[in-house]
Amino acid sequence: MLKSLKEWVLVFIIIGAIMLTGNWIGYDVLPWNALPGIAILIGISLAGLIVHRLLPFQLPSIAYIGIIGLILTIPGMPGAEQIVMYTTEVNLLAIATPILAYAGVSIGRSWFDFVQLGWKTIVIGMFVLLGTFLGSAVIAEVILRFQGII
Amino acid sequence: MGEQALKLWKDWRLHVIVLAIVAVTESIGTFAIPLGPGTILLLPMLYAVVIGLALYFTPLVNDKQSINAEPLVFLSVSVLIAKFGVQAGPALPQIIEAGPALLLQEFGNLGTIFLALPLAVFLGLKRESIGMTHSIGREANLALITDKYGLSSPEGRGVMAMYIFGTVFGSIFIGLISGFLATVTPLHPISFAMATGVGSGSMAAASLGPLVAAFPEMSETLTAFSGVSNLISSVTGLYMSIFVGLPLTVKMYEILSKNKEKKEKAAKGGVNYVKKS
Repeated sequence: MLKSLKEWVLVFIIIGAIMLTGNWIGYDVLPWNALPGIAILIGISLAGLIVHRLLPFQLPSIAYIGIIGLILTIPGMPGAEQIVMYTTEVNLLAIATPILAYAGVSIGRSWFDFVQLGWKTIVIGMFVLLGTFLGSAVIAEVILRFQGII
Repeated sequence: MGEQALKLWKDWRLHVIVLAIVAVTESIGTFAIPLGPGTILLLPMLYAVVIGLALYFTPLVNDKQSINAEPLVFLSVSVLIAKFGVQAGPALPQIIEAGPALLLQEFGNLGTIFLALPLAVFLGLKRESIGMTHSIGREANLALITDKYGLSSPEGRGVMAMYIFGTVFGSIFIGLISGFLATVTPLHPISFAMATGVGSGSMAAASLGPLVAAFPEMSETLTAFSGVSNLISSVTGLYMSIFVGLPLTVKMYEILSKNKEKKEKAAKGGVNYVKKS
């Protein structure tokens, strides 16, 4: 536990630095302005990973991370406004770009398997993604309209 | 994760490459390509996945980097999920109000069964189509199908093919269509934000990115709804597959393939008849 905690912290420092750089280049937020925000986000991630280790339930660690972030920022929670203020400085897209850069490097190994898939699989795959995505959006739309929210 | 994730932080080559990719792609910035009434948004993250993939075929990236990159995707996704969380807290009243939509849109993930399964059967696939189209085919679904049918069964081959497809092409494809669909269809961006919880972290990032870029004035609300949708999917997704998605796919497959057989037989019968006369 302690060993992987140290590993996690070191990795998060690297990832955080990369995100701060992207946030600076792409979205003009100076790194020291976004530093508290990224530190908070990393703290929440670590807390979620640790809670995931300690609790016996079969929930994915990202569920804990999301719930901790949500609870900390419910209006009225002490410090909620500060957390929101600081984390707003970290642009969502600046977080997404390094994720997909790592993903790109990681999927290289699957490329040869990918090119061996037939055209039918590729076409069906696109319809699987389209069906999943559009299906959710349509149901959400119908209910939101029914409720008069949008 | 954990004990086997040894010395990830020491893979400097990988981190420097990712830093360079980020610096280059963020400098290039976003391009919007008008396509009919909609827009396709090309975002830095989209170039990032393509460049990362291309670098695998250069001496810069070895298998070691590629293997190490996988847990790093997971850890960087966790920062994204934390960001989702802190956006969701302030929006909690809105989220509760939209609760029914958020919960029920999970059933929309079954849309693949109605769209992709008939296509797969039409294209002549047999039981592979069950593995392929019962869900978006990420890790949890791979485990489910393997557990139930075995990986070397037709169903297992199907889910494996979809897993590979999604791994390589998923975030690119969904990143391209998400912004386009949101600008071309009459559906509200919030509905699409709820749809981004499809069960994969990098696909969530890839599908939310264009929405936020296309509707910057709503970015906080969109992120909050996307976050909660991802949270719900991460908890309910597998059970949805076990209890609804997979049984429904099997049932639909049986009906579709029977119909197809009937039609084929009828067609064959017709040809024979013509020949005889």
